[in-house]
Amino acid sequence: MSSVNGAVPTTIIVAGLALAAYALLMTALNRRMGIGLLAALGVLEILLLVLVGLIVAKLAGGGRPASLATLIGYLIAMPLVPVAAGFWGLLERSRWGSAVVAVAGLVAAVLMVRLHEIWPVIHV
Amino acid sequence: MSEPAASPEQAASPPDSTRTGPGRVLIAVYALFALSASARAAVQIATKFSHAPVAYLLSGLAAVIYILATVTFAVGSPAARRIAVLSCSVELVGVLAVGTWSLADRATFPDATVWSGYGSGYGFVPLVLPVLGLLWLRHWSKRARTQETVVTSAGDADEAARSKSALRAQVSFGRY
Repeated sequence: MSSVNGAVPTTIIVAGLALAAYALLMTALNRRMGIGLLAALGVLEILLLVLVGLIVAKLAGGGRPASLATLIGYLIAMPLVPVAAGFWGLLERSRWGSAVVAVAGLVAAVLMVRLHEIWPVIHV
Repeated sequence: MSEPAASPEQAASPPDSTRTGPGRVLIAVYALFALSASARAAVQIATKFSHAPVAYLLSGLAAVIYILATVTFAVGSPAARRIAVLSCSVELVGVLAVGTWSLADRATFPDATVWSGYGSGYGFVPLVLPVLGLLWLRHWSKRARTQETVVTSAGDADEAARSKSALRAQVSFGRY
């Protein structure tokens, strides 16, 4: 059984953790969410969408995880994380908007580990 | 949201509810747990309920409590805050009780639930979250009491209250 290219999930983990570090630095410096964090969220969103595409292609090719329902839930929820964090973070005009973005970065990294547990062909 | 300026000055609205300030982060994390716990409980109960009924029902209970906490923190009215105190307390008792139970009686919990092992499968966030939630609620009940006596009128006073409350929240969060 061939596997989903591990480069994308690994990149998402690195990008998510880097985003979290950047956002926490902004929080510590008492900076509200700005264009920099918004752009970083956009990069994370693109990476997540690429991964969703890869996994959908894998499903279309006939591969099946142990729990298909869970995987589909992840495919729907995953790309919503940066979007929701972007909106919620922009609503807060203080340092805590940046902290919301940090949560999104950490969540993206954790989701990659979970994806591998749901379907081991998705390497990290 | 069209102009995300990076300067900390001129806040659009003062933090007048549990929804704002550090509350945004709390709600974001609670919403995440509400979503993942309810999705997980739904899948478990729908597909393999007889496998571990107790664990899956507790997953469902956790999901309901996370949803309740998310909504009440977001609403932030005095009544909502009272419900939030209740749900955070149930959550804390739940994670402690289920955590102990899952370690003592592993047969009942063949699959991990949100609260088994004190939330170890979720980086112990389920254990920390209700504590932070209760601290945040205590901060607001104190603030509500002082606001009954102090009349804040001008924007300056608002600004002062804002920075003071942010500092206080920071201090109380820093302790944990």
